Amino acid sequence: MTLSVRNPSARGGFAAASFLIFLVLLALLLFAPPDGIEHAPLLQFVGRFHPLSVHFPIAVLLLVPLFEILGRKRNSPFLLASVDLLLCVAICGAIVAAVLGWCLARGGGYSGPLVQQHMWGGVLVAVAAWLCWLQRLRAGSPGPARLYAIMLVGTVTLVSFTGYRGGQLSHGANHLTQFMPLQLRRLLEVSGSGHGAMNSAEESLATFYGARIQPLFEGHCVTCHGPAKHKANLRLDTYAAVMRGSKHGPVIKAGDPKGSELFHRITLPPNDDDFMPAANRRPLSSSEVKLIEAWISSGASHTLAVDATAVVTDGQTIVAEVNFQEIDPSAVAKERAAFAPILSQVQSRLPNVVGYQSRSSADLVLSASWLGAKFGDNEIVFLAPLSERIVAADFSSTAITDRSAPVLAAMKKLRQLRLAHTAISDATIQELGSLDRLESLSVFDTGVSASSLSLFARLSKLQHVYAGQTRISANTVIPPQLNGKLVF
Amino acid sequence: MTDPFYGISRNHDFDLSSELHPERTLARLQAQTRRHFLRSMTGGLGAMFLGTLASPSSSASAEELATGDSLRLDLRRDPKTPLTVLPPQFAPHAKRVIYLHMAGAPSQLELFEYKPQLAKFDGQDCPASFLAGKRFAFLTGIPKLLGSQYPFHQTGQSGQWISDRLPNLEKHIDDLCLIKSMRTDQFNHAPAQLLVQTGNPRLGYPSLGSWVVYGLGTENQNLPGFVVLISGGNTPDGGKQLWGTGFLPSVYQGVQCRSHGDPVLYLNPPPGVSSPQRRNMLDSMDEINQQRYAEFGNPETLTRIAQYEMSFRMQMDATDAMDIRKEPESVRVSYGSKLGESSFANNCLVARRLAERGVRFIQLYHWGWDSHGASAKESLDIGFIERCREVDQPIAALLADLKNRGMLEDTLIVWGGEFGRTSMRENRSGQVMKFVGRDHNPGAFTIWLAGGGVKSGMTLGQTDELGYEIVKDPVEVRDLNATILNLLGFDYRKLNYPFQGLDQKLTGVKPARVLAEVLA
Repeated sequence: MTLSVRNPSARGGFAAASFLIFLVLLALLLFAPPDGIEHAPLLQFVGRFHPLSVHFPIAVLLLVPLFEILGRKRNSPFLLASVDLLLCVAICGAIVAAVLGWCLARGGGYSGPLVQQHMWGGVLVAVAAWLCWLQRLRAGSPGPARLYAIMLVGTVTLVSFTGYRGGQLSHGANHLTQFMPLQLRRLLEVSGSGHGAMNSAEESLATFYGARIQPLFEGHCVTCHGPAKHKANLRLDTYAAVMRGSKHGPVIKAGDPKGSELFHRITLPPNDDDFMPAANRRPLSSSEVKLIEAWISSGASHTLAVDATAVVTDGQTIVAEVNFQEIDPSAVAKERAAFAPILSQVQSRLPNVVGYQSRSSADLVLSASWLGAKFGDNEIVFLAPLSERIVAADFSSTAITDRSAPVLAAMKKLRQLRLAHTAISDATIQELGSLDRLESLSVFDTGVSASSLSLFARLSKLQHVYAGQTRISANTVIPPQLNGKLVF
Repeated sequence: MTDPFYGISRNHDFDLSSELHPERTLARLQAQTRRHFLRSMTGGLGAMFLGTLASPSSSASAEELATGDSLRLDLRRDPKTPLTVLPPQFAPHAKRVIYLHMAGAPSQLELFEYKPQLAKFDGQDCPASFLAGKRFAFLTGIPKLLGSQYPFHQTGQSGQWISDRLPNLEKHIDDLCLIKSMRTDQFNHAPAQLLVQTGNPRLGYPSLGSWVVYGLGTENQNLPGFVVLISGGNTPDGGKQLWGTGFLPSVYQGVQCRSHGDPVLYLNPPPGVSSPQRRNMLDSMDEINQQRYAEFGNPETLTRIAQYEMSFRMQMDATDAMDIRKEPESVRVSYGSKLGESSFANNCLVARRLAERGVRFIQLYHWGWDSHGASAKESLDIGFIERCREVDQPIAALLADLKNRGMLEDTLIVWGGEFGRTSMRENRSGQVMKFVGRDHNPGAFTIWLAGGGVKSGMTLGQTDELGYEIVKDPVEVRDLNATILNLLGFDYRKLNYPFQGLDQKLTGVKPARVLAEVLA
């Protein structure tokens, strides 16, 4: 380092030179701000070194308070002597990083509040470090020393803030919470999906755009073309922004996928310079591309109904992919916790009769029919503690009678109930008024008669009643609510 | 390298003897020195670094990485109860499957594929484009087009076309989901049947039923979870591998049951042996097997124990479940079933009884659909009529029974063959044959699904005007199988099993498509 910090004239020269550079930087930021338009490739080339250079001044700046504290210990006063140099190095590093950052932002076509905040934060870090350095030179008496300490704390805070914004720029606004463990997330009351202030407009899930297209943009595009960055002045986070287009003009030509810049870009060969998503991000799958094609060719409407799943293009039917839901085991376990011990008790007593509907749910399904006559009124009582969790139950061919009606009536979440080939009668049916979620009921080959019809009619969700081989017949007069719902 | 303990070569990656002898394992571990550790550690770190340099797209597609393709469902069970019920991955539409396989490949052009243009060009030379680059089992030269042998009409509220060969099934047309654009890459029976049933045309892969029972278990522990019933006089060409278990534990393989007499041979103790004696013998055998398991830890030993126990429990339940004499005569008549026969009708009735008793996967085969025209039995004008008569009424009765009990809501029925038949008349040795027939066409065939969360009264896919090639929505066998697994509550990618360095799946290594169009 030619810059001798002990030489007062060199100090003055460094201070003045830094000040001049700050002025130049300020001019750049004010008169040539990042405007969302890509500029000279050379700028971009230089700018790409910003991430490489930025961490050095950060590390050095964080060393300053560390050395200041440790240096006050009796046995390491030499650390204090290094602080001066550290600050000078940090100022130089911060200036270099800031200039490169400007090159990246200006050249790479960044814009938006995140970039603005990151940029000004970076410049302020350099200035703050410079001020710290000046203040430290004057620091002999307690007053300036206290001020110096405060400035140092402020600088470190500023470094953290700027670094966080930088992280958001490159990894997404929710990069710290995205993979946060669920428990911690609950504790801090943050949502991991990033649906905060920076989120895109809420779109109606009833429209094709809202349900099918917007999620694709969210998943693939908005990191660079969204509220945080709008590269090429293009934002894809709202319908209006999508249709407004980029600095080159509209990117969607309604009815003409081939003529739409957006469609053109996502269908280029992946190694093409213009291919989107750029920078080796995950390309859209062929069915996702087809969805976008279908949407554009159907007129790129904002209001097209979502159930237009089969939009025809070139004679091909486009269908939505089946998405497999991801299971959050801890959430499921939490839901199950309340009754899991009871369930395992019941399972050891009656194996393979009751179990979870799926790995992702705390609902139970019950199937006793395979036990036949070995299952009856005495066995069903074991299930009573679980009754409120059961959504589907099959008692066909078992020995249950009307005595089991109270247990059945307690299964309030039941959507499907099978009582075929049992000894139950109208007396049981009369008790089932509480099953207001029931969708399907089989009383095939039972003693149920027409007097149960009024109860069936009361169950508003009921879609199918399987009433073959009962005392109800196709000739029975049925209430209008049951039209088309009785199966014989 | 030489094993210092035994002084023999131990260069094998997988040394079975050392797996089985604990002291050998110990010796091997002791032979590992600090030097080995340091060497493999530094080399390993270097390899890990080099591994990160390779772009991820070179080893797996970005899409696969993003969807977590390498993940596997945890299907571990207590080895003593290998068939215990496990919940599926997500809420299922179907709880059980009845698969009606028409071995020999029924002609779609005589059943579901209405092609007036084909009738118009009947007897004319087929277009040259039909033959270019194609391989056929028997067609030679330039074969003639052959119009449908039976008249078609529209039926049901869905207005689908059907021939006059299936008058009973026709009444349920609004419950069916026809897929007319199935295709396969196999044009011989055995490999094509293997492909349809195991997802792979080669031997040694688990069948659909095995995968399903492996994934879900089965409710009724006194019956096999996967039952196979055969009719038509012959075992399908694919043989018993069609319900084999491949690399999955053998407890998940299909159990073939006879449709008359004892359903499973030797279930009942032989004359002179009482049931308690049998129990005693099994207990002793169990003891020996348990010792064996403690010694070697081979899971197949547990499979054997479980099988012995199941066959003991099956004595009562299997005989009862298979006994169609217990059905009222009216029911037997509706199926067209005759006591003492080995028929598809009887098997359909048994299938319903098994479904009611909690059997997870019921596989029926009906042989005799290979209508080449080489003989009366294998012809469209004679044998085909018989085959249709044999299956039409029983399938219709099965659908009706499941429907009126509400069971069609969660029972998936699959009907289909292993490939389709050509639009051209077969001309074996270039001659006009005595009987009318068609050759194998892997390029297009029709299957149907019913119940179990499938959209009803719809058709997926379309073939050209001569019914020869698919023009819309081609469906691969793996797509169909992925859809079946989806209806049962599985992401087909996560139901996999590690074998030979691959996460083996029913659908193979190529990406499959769940047919969202057919999901209700």
